[in-house]
Amino acid sequence: MDTRIHCALLVSTALALAACGRKEEPAPAPAPAPAPSVEPAPTPAPAGIAVSSVTAGSAIGADKKVSVATDSFAPSDTMYVSIDTTGSGTAKLDAKWTYHKGGNVAVVEEDSMTIDTAGPATHEFHVSKPDGWPAGDYQVEVMLDGMPAGSKKLTVK
Amino acid sequence: MSDDMPDFSNVKGGSSSAATKIHVVVSGDSLSKIARREYGSAKDWKRIFEANRDILKDPDKIYPGQQLKIPPKE
Repeated sequence: MDTRIHCALLVSTALALAACGRKEEPAPAPAPAPAPSVEPAPTPAPAGIAVSSVTAGSAIGADKKVSVATDSFAPSDTMYVSIDTTGSGTAKLDAKWTYHKGGNVAVVEEDSMTIDTAGPATHEFHVSKPDGWPAGDYQVEVMLDGMPAGSKKLTVK
Repeated sequence: MSDDMPDFSNVKGGSSSAATKIHVVVSGDSLSKIARREYGSAKDWKRIFEANRDILKDPDKIYPGQQLKIPPKE
């Protein structure tokens, strides 16, 4: 046999043997399917409106928040109560101002407003008395849709 | 109320909101009266009218029971 033929046979045999010994590579794992785009469920809006805080003071700012917080007033002061609400929708806010002396209670003023808000908001009620407040103990009760939502005890000195 | 309780008949109260208020029209109301009460000036009736153009065609015609949007005081 020709030397070149020998060489060719040897090479082809070696290639065949090498091919037989090679382990089959596992097929590459298919690329993971992209995770389905799941939008997080929107946080449900709070049902209705809730009162988050009630603050008393002797002055408010343009944002309706109390700028001078106090529970103690001078006779010439206007008394304010600022109410922060959360949530959206329509609700009725009531404020009832009372004077307490001994075991007796006198209603000073009652006021209400219906609000329509798309989010957190601040609201205020106020009372004043041209000839000055009598010294003593007062209270303001805040109601939301007829349910107690907070109160503050006030003093005039 | 006891006789020795103070007289609170001259107390002036009010309210305002950073949100829109809803005013339910009662007999005798006018936009000017509502504006005076809400904003302190009857001249501001146009603000209420503009905010309620969807239900008001004539500013002189409002009816008891109508719910008017009162924009926040500026």
